[in-house]
Amino acid sequence: MLSLLRVLAARFGGFFTRRRDDEEFSDELREHMDLLTEENVRRGMSLAEARREARIRLGGAAQLRQTHRELSGIPFLESTAHDVRFALRMLRKNPGFTAVAVLTLALGIGANTAIFNVVKATLLAPLPVKSASRVVVIWVNNLHSGWSRIGPTGLDYLDWREQSKSFDDLLLFEHGTGTVTGEGEPEQVAGLRVTTNFGDFFGIKPVLGRTFLPDEATARNNLMILGYAYWRRRFGSDPSVVGRGITLNGEQYTIIGVLPAGFATLFPAEVVVPFDNEWLKRANGDLGVLGRIKRGITLQQASGEMSMIAQRIATVRPERKGFGAVLVPLANVRLEYLRPALLVLLGAVGFVLLIACANVANLVLARSVVRQREVAIRMALGAGRLRLIRQLLAEGTLLALLGGAAGALLALWSTALLARFVPSRIPVPNAADTVVLPTIHMTGSALLFTMAVSLAAGIILGMIPALQSLRCNVIESVKEGGRGLGGGRRRHRTRSALVIVESALAFVLVIGAGLMIKSFWHLLETSPGFHPEHLLTLRIKLPNDAKDSKYREPRQQSAAFQRFLSSVQEVPGVQSAAVTEIVPLSQDDMDRGYFVVQEEPPLAPGEHLAADYRDVSASYFATMGIPLIAGRVFTQQDNLDHPRAVVIDEALADRFFPNGDAIGKHLQVPDGKQVAREIVGVVGSVHDTGFDQQPRPTIYFPSLQTSDQTMSLVVRTTLPPGTILPAIKNAIWSMDKDQPVFAVRSMDEIVAGTVSAQHLAFILLGVFAFLALALAAIGIYGVTSYGVSERTHEIGVRMALGAQPGDVLRLVLAGGSRLAGIGIVSGVAAAIALTRLLSSLLFGVSATDPLIFGAVAALLLGVALAACYIPARRAMRVDPMVALRYE
Amino acid sequence: MTDSKSEILQGTLDLMVLKTLAAMGPLHGYGIARRIEQISEEALRLNQGTIYASLVRLQQKGWIKGAWGASENNRKAKFYSLTRSGKKQLSAESENWERIASVIGRVLQLEERG
Repeated sequence: MLSLLRVLAARFGGFFTRRRDDEEFSDELREHMDLLTEENVRRGMSLAEARREARIRLGGAAQLRQTHRELSGIPFLESTAHDVRFALRMLRKNPGFTAVAVLTLALGIGANTAIFNVVKATLLAPLPVKSASRVVVIWVNNLHSGWSRIGPTGLDYLDWREQSKSFDDLLLFEHGTGTVTGEGEPEQVAGLRVTTNFGDFFGIKPVLGRTFLPDEATARNNLMILGYAYWRRRFGSDPSVVGRGITLNGEQYTIIGVLPAGFATLFPAEVVVPFDNEWLKRANGDLGVLGRIKRGITLQQASGEMSMIAQRIATVRPERKGFGAVLVPLANVRLEYLRPALLVLLGAVGFVLLIACANVANLVLARSVVRQREVAIRMALGAGRLRLIRQLLAEGTLLALLGGAAGALLALWSTALLARFVPSRIPVPNAADTVVLPTIHMTGSALLFTMAVSLAAGIILGMIPALQSLRCNVIESVKEGGRGLGGGRRRHRTRSALVIVESALAFVLVIGAGLMIKSFWHLLETSPGFHPEHLLTLRIKLPNDAKDSKYREPRQQSAAFQRFLSSVQEVPGVQSAAVTEIVPLSQDDMDRGYFVVQEEPPLAPGEHLAADYRDVSASYFATMGIPLIAGRVFTQQDNLDHPRAVVIDEALADRFFPNGDAIGKHLQVPDGKQVAREIVGVVGSVHDTGFDQQPRPTIYFPSLQTSDQTMSLVVRTTLPPGTILPAIKNAIWSMDKDQPVFAVRSMDEIVAGTVSAQHLAFILLGVFAFLALALAAIGIYGVTSYGVSERTHEIGVRMALGAQPGDVLRLVLAGGSRLAGIGIVSGVAAAIALTRLLSSLLFGVSATDPLIFGAVAALLLGVALAACYIPARRAMRVDPMVALRYE
Repeated sequence: MTDSKSEILQGTLDLMVLKTLAAMGPLHGYGIARRIEQISEEALRLNQGTIYASLVRLQQKGWIKGAWGASENNRKAKFYSLTRSGKKQLSAESENWERIASVIGRVLQLEERG
C-alpha cells in the first residue's frame, strides 16, 4: 500500500518534471549507446557495424523514451491530454470538415435542447402542491346527457368528504372574478374561493402573513389572501400589507397573507377568499374539487369508491341520478391536451439528431479513408488498438462537444423564440378552463442535457470510424497507399446504410410535417360558423354579491346589459355590437341543460335531451355573422312582456326535428316554471368548443328574457382594438363608473388560442422536417460524390470503351436514387407505424393519407436526385485519358 | 506483442537488477545490463533497453536511487545504487524467489503417470 502511494507520488512528480526527465533520459540512452558501440568496436567490428549492432541490442530510442515517459508520468492523463491536443490539431487542419460537422451537430443538439426546455417546463416541472403525484381532480359526469366532466355541487363535496375513505383531504375551489374598487380604475381580478383547508392542502408557505384557519369558514370573516403577482402590481410588494382592508364586490375584506410566486402556475389567482359553510350547501355552480389520495390506495380503488358514493348519493338526492365521478391525476389534467404534441416534437427532434449524427458519421468515415494509412502506419509502429480507439473517440467527442457548445447557443436563442410561440395559457376543450404554462427558459439542467447528448453523439461518432479502421489489415493498407481500397467496399456499404437510414428518418419526419400542414390547413379552412374577423370581445361581470348592489334583481341585470349595449352601439367606428353569455371558442364558461319538446310524447323516466344554452341579445346573430336558416332571429320585442321565444341551431334542428318542422314547436327547460318557449328561428351551427369538435346542439335564449351576472360584449369594428377600446370602456363607464371590464380579446386571438397546440406542432415539425431534408440531401450528396471520386478510374474506362456522358449521368443518379428509394420504402413502413401517434393532433386527415405519402416520397426522391446531380456532372466531365493515366 | 512473457520477465529482471546492484555497488544502465549478461555467461542476451523500464519501476518504489556521475571514459552517466529499503526488499524477494524456484523444481520432478 505504502509503496503504491510512493509510486503514485513519483508519477505525479514525473508528470510535472517531464520535459527535464525526458532530456536526462535521452542523455542516459546516448551514453549507453556509446558504451555499447565502443564495446562492439573493441570486439573488432567496424564503426558502422558496431553502431548498428548497438542499436539492435538497445532497442528503438523513440520507443524506449515513450515507455519511459509512460512509466514515469500518469499515462492516462497524459495520453488523454495528448489525444485532445492531437484531435484539436486534426480539427484545425481540416477547417471545412470541422465547420460542417460542428454546424450539423449544433443544429441537431440545439434543437434537442430547445425542445427539452419546453418539455421540462411543461411536462417535467413540479407542481406547487405537496405530494402532487397523489392529487387528483374530481369531476362528475353524466354520459347520458353529454357531460363528460363538470364540476360538482357544494352538496356533492360535503357528501364526498363525509363518506369517502380514499382521501387524505379534499379541497373545494371555485374560479371567479371579483371587482376591486377604491383607488383608481375599477378592476376585475381573478379570484379563487376555497375551503379553509387550502393552505394545508397545497402545503403553502405564505410569503407574508398566514393562510386560513379551519374554523374561519363558520362566519363571514371577509378574509383575503393575495396572489404574489397581484401583491407586487397593486401594492408594490409592500411588506406591511397584512392587516390592510380592501374592497371586493362592494364588501370590505382584510388581507391576511400573500401567496408564494410559484402558486400561480397552478392557479393564476389574484385574490383567494374562503367559502362560507352555509353558502356551500346552496352552491350549485361549477365547482372544482381536488383530492389527495391516501398513500397505498390506487387511482382505480379511489375511483371505484367514488362511483359507489355517487350511486348512494343518487338514492338520497334523486336529481343526481345518472351522475358518476371522474378522477384524473392533476398532472394529467394540466397537460393531456399538450402532451401528445410535445411527445411528437420530442420524437421528431430526436430524429433530427440521429440524422445529424448519421451525416457527421458519414463525414468522419469519408475522412477515415484518408486517415486509414495514418492509422495503419501508427499500428505498424506499435500503437495499441486501445490507444487508437481512444484517439478516435477523443476526436469524435471533441467534435460533438464543439457541436454541443454551438448547439447550446442555438438553443438559447431558439428557446427565446419558442417561448414566444408557446402560448402561456392553453384552453382545455370541454372544460371551460385553461392551463397556465410556466415560462420557458434555459436552465442548468438543460445544459446538462446538452452535455449528455453531445457526449453520447461523440461516442457514436468516434466508435464508427474506430471500428472501421481497426478491422483493416495493416500491411494491405500501407501497401495500397492513400487509396485504401481494401476496406473500401465494406466502408462504402456502411456509408450507404447510413444514407438509407437517414433518408428513412427524413421521410418519416417530412410525412409528419406534411400531415400537420394538411391538417392545419383543414383547420383554418373550417368555418367556425361565424365571421371571426374584426370582432372585439370583452367581459362584464355585474357586482351583485354586495348587499347594497343595484343588480340584485334579474330584471336589473338584463336591463344593465341592455344599457351598456346601447351605449357601446353609439360609439363611432362600431358597426354593430351584441351581448352573449359565452363567446364561441373562448372556453370562458359552460352552460348546458336539459330540454323537453312540448309537442313530443314524454320521455321515459331518467331519459333526457340536453343542449348548450346561450343567452344572447337580438343583435348577436347579425354581429357574429351567424346565418339565419329558417324563421326569424330575436328582436327587441322578445322581452319579459312578450311570450318566451328561443332560436335553435342547425345541429339541434337536424337531430330532433329531422322533418324540418322545428319552427312553431315549443321547448321547455327545467327552470322551475316549465314555461313553453316557442322556436321562432333556426340559425347556422357554431363550432363552440373548437374547430376540431363537432358543433353541439344549442338553444339560444333572448337576453331580455333571461338574466346573467356575467356577459360578454362582442363588437364588430374595422378599427384596431387598441384604438376603439378606450371609447368602448368610456361608453360603459358613462353608464356605471364602478363597472370593470376584463378579458379584452379580439376574436382572432381567441381563434389562435384554440389552435395553438396544433400551430406549435405545425411550425416546429415543419422546421424539423426541413432540417431533416437538408441534412439527408447533404448525406446523399456526400456519399454520391465520394462514390464518384472513388470510381473515377472505372468511369474513365467506361468512357474509353464508348459510354456516353448520358450513360454516366444515369449511372450516378441511379446509384443515389437507389439509396434514397430503399430509404423511402423503409420510411413508409416506419411512418405507417409512427404517424398513428400523431392522430390526436390531426384534423380531417388520416394518419396514412396516401396523397401526403406519395407527395413526400416524390419530394424526397427529387431532393436525392438533385443532391446526386452535382457529383454526376463531375462524373460526366471525367477525361478518360486523365483518369487512366492517373493510375 | 509478447506481453505475457515480458510480464514474467519483469519481476525477474527487477530482482536481477537489485542483486547486481547489491553485489557490484553503484552502476549505470549499461553496466548493469553488461553485468547481468556476463553473469549469465552470455546465455541471456538482453534487449538492453528493457533495463530502463525496470530502473524506473525500482526508483518509483524507492528501492534504488540514481545520481549523476562520471563514467569510466569520463562522460556524464547516471549511476544507480541500492537504498536501505531496497536491501530489505532484495532479501525478501530472494527468499520468495527461492521458495518459488524450489516449488517449481519439485513440480517438475513429479513423475508422469504411466
